[in-house]
Amino acid sequence: MKKDISSLHVPHNKHTAACVPQRIEIPAEVILPMNMHSGHDAEPIVKVGDHVKVGQLIAREEGRFSSPVHATISGTVVEIAPMATASGKETLAIRIESDGKMEVCETVKAPEFSDCDSFLQAVRDGGIVGLGGAAFPTWAKFNEATNPDYKVDTVLINAAECEPYITSDHRMMLAHPELIADGIEYLRKYMNQYLGNATYKICIETNKADAIEVLKKTFAGKDYVVIHELKTIYPQGAKQVMLYNATGRVAVAGKRFPSFGALIINVSSLAKMAEYLNTGMPLVERIVTVDGPAVEKPMNLIAPIGTRISELLKLTGLKSQPGKVVVGGPMNGTAICSVDDPIVKVSNAVLVFDEKSAVLPEASACINCGRCIEKCPVGISVADVDRYMHVENPDRKAKLLIKTGVRQCVDCACCSYVCPANRPLLQINWEAKAYLKKYAAAQKEKEGGKQ
Amino acid sequence: MSKLHISSTPHIHQKGSSTRNIMLDVVIAMLPATIAGIVIFGISALWTVLTCVISAVVAEYVFNLCVGKKQTIGDLSAVVTGLLLALNVSTAVPLWQCVVGSVFAIVVVKCLFGGIGKNIVNPAITARVFMLLTFGAVGAVALPTVVEITTGATPLAALNQGAEIAAAEAPSLMDLFLGLHGGAIGETCAAALLLGFVYLVVRKVIKWYVPVSFVATTFLCYFLFCGFDAYFALQHVLAGGLLLGAIFMATDYVTTPNTGSGRVVFCIGAGLLTFAIRQFGMFPEGVSIAILTMNLLTPFICDFTKKKTLGGVR
Repeated sequence: MKKDISSLHVPHNKHTAACVPQRIEIPAEVILPMNMHSGHDAEPIVKVGDHVKVGQLIAREEGRFSSPVHATISGTVVEIAPMATASGKETLAIRIESDGKMEVCETVKAPEFSDCDSFLQAVRDGGIVGLGGAAFPTWAKFNEATNPDYKVDTVLINAAECEPYITSDHRMMLAHPELIADGIEYLRKYMNQYLGNATYKICIETNKADAIEVLKKTFAGKDYVVIHELKTIYPQGAKQVMLYNATGRVAVAGKRFPSFGALIINVSSLAKMAEYLNTGMPLVERIVTVDGPAVEKPMNLIAPIGTRISELLKLTGLKSQPGKVVVGGPMNGTAICSVDDPIVKVSNAVLVFDEKSAVLPEASACINCGRCIEKCPVGISVADVDRYMHVENPDRKAKLLIKTGVRQCVDCACCSYVCPANRPLLQINWEAKAYLKKYAAAQKEKEGGKQ
Repeated sequence: MSKLHISSTPHIHQKGSSTRNIMLDVVIAMLPATIAGIVIFGISALWTVLTCVISAVVAEYVFNLCVGKKQTIGDLSAVVTGLLLALNVSTAVPLWQCVVGSVFAIVVVKCLFGGIGKNIVNPAITARVFMLLTFGAVGAVALPTVVEITTGATPLAALNQGAEIAAAEAPSLMDLFLGLHGGAIGETCAAALLLGFVYLVVRKVIKWYVPVSFVATTFLCYFLFCGFDAYFALQHVLAGGLLLGAIFMATDYVTTPNTGSGRVVFCIGAGLLTFAIRQFGMFPEGVSIAILTMNLLTPFICDFTKKKTLGGVR
């Protein structure tokens, strides 16, 4: 019997579930940071003053897990300058001023590929990255699955969209179920030797009944595709949780995902990949949900990547002064410091909080209620992590922390969300994980010195 | 444009989830027992309650002021401690002793250990035991004022004198259920305590199986070791502070394990100890000492009842 995973009912606030995405007018300019993916920054190949067209390569991939960047509007490159990103890192950003024409580049045509290698190269050239949040280059993810040590028998297509507010994946599924089907066919055709007879499980929460309906119709008669309905509870979309719920397997932290016999890809990434392979148009625009307590009219917008957030907010309107702007979901998104920041490849939502909801109550002492432990999807003794971080003896501290299971943390933030003392438990988990990593590295070095 | 707030995830927090709201729920849950106590024992019970609550809150306020700590009386935990202590003493206890007990609970047991969340034993229970040993007075019997009571002993004292005397002197189950017998202010009326229990479970402050495992253990002990007499065992469950202790003290977050399995282990231990102390000890009442002992064992229970991670991976 499979144990039910602990999880949490978070208010959905999916106000935009019925909002058909609207394409915004051509923005006056776009800003394209070079780090819209998880690996190394891309390298600009255009100069200030160059004229670029939609879909034109403007920065090539450089280094491990990098990804190319394409122009998302036609116009002139006016600036290539460093900008600060929400993570605190600095990266180069290319600013393009629109010529108002949205001319499509001549190089945009369906890529040619015939085998797995050329297929992966095509996905790589399209600048497709994981749109669920991690922004890991999609080709690299597929490439991992080609490792002969791994026997991938399940491809999980993550359509859970478990975070409150966001409906961009939902709307994409309603609008383009055929792209999801195409994506699956591409994988079946070109990754056949590695994925073989894998089952394709589209994992979707039951709150998207219309999308489930559409998907069922699309995949009727295809026995290799399973629409796997998940209870609407947070965090169904966390890949470790999804793996467990869909296959019963447990993801061990520190191991690559395909080693569990599964590949996981966000549904929008899969659709964007199919779109690129069909038409040659790389990842240049996406659906963004704009919502939040301070937003006047929540909407789904289709915007070129690089559009300033303030442009989107002009369309939705604001009820009050923004106190906090979050890109992504409220449980896992990033608070940004300016509404002039651009949306990037992974920006599935922009949430604006008013001054009142921007600041959470101050942390107080832990009262040992155990709610964090009860709600943790992987069963980490979160309250104990909080306590053990104050242990002074480094060996004992490491031993105790390992015992809590904190290395398995999936960063879902359920613990912080329920904590009545409002303690920053997720951050404490991060600190604990960082400490254990450092400790393990030091231990390894010590052992190496002895030999 | 005004400056934006920056913070780490998550950006939302569970509605209504705060220490203060939990404590408020506990206070609300104790109100039926408090009111029942005032009805049964008369207006002097109200003075005891007010004395305990006010002196507990003032003690915490003054302590924080003296040591320069941030004021914490807003979290209402001092109110809970004061009220719980009041429910644990009888109206026969002089008010000045109540003040001493409350100050002891707050200052010695809680604040000196670092304030809320840091105390290792339950403040109200420890204060009760402290008063019992120092003044010998908690056990002083106050009799209900609403009904005429013939016997001067508490039901537990009667029950402990063997089955024959028990049958003659101990109150009937109905009287025990309604609380029409001698004892501490809040412990006699089982009906009111159960009302509080239901409230706490509905509000998800406590899990139903925590108090139930405590009471069930004690019941089973009496049933198995005292002649399979369900009536007698039930009398023991309803008499004395068992329900009060099981519902409001064995469920105290701070001094009990933080997992469901740990809490059940805690309660089974407390149930066994209650039986042992009542049966073989020198006091007729064993609940507070049982809980106090289990409080001290909490870290060890925690250690071996740690929740398993998914798949047991660490």
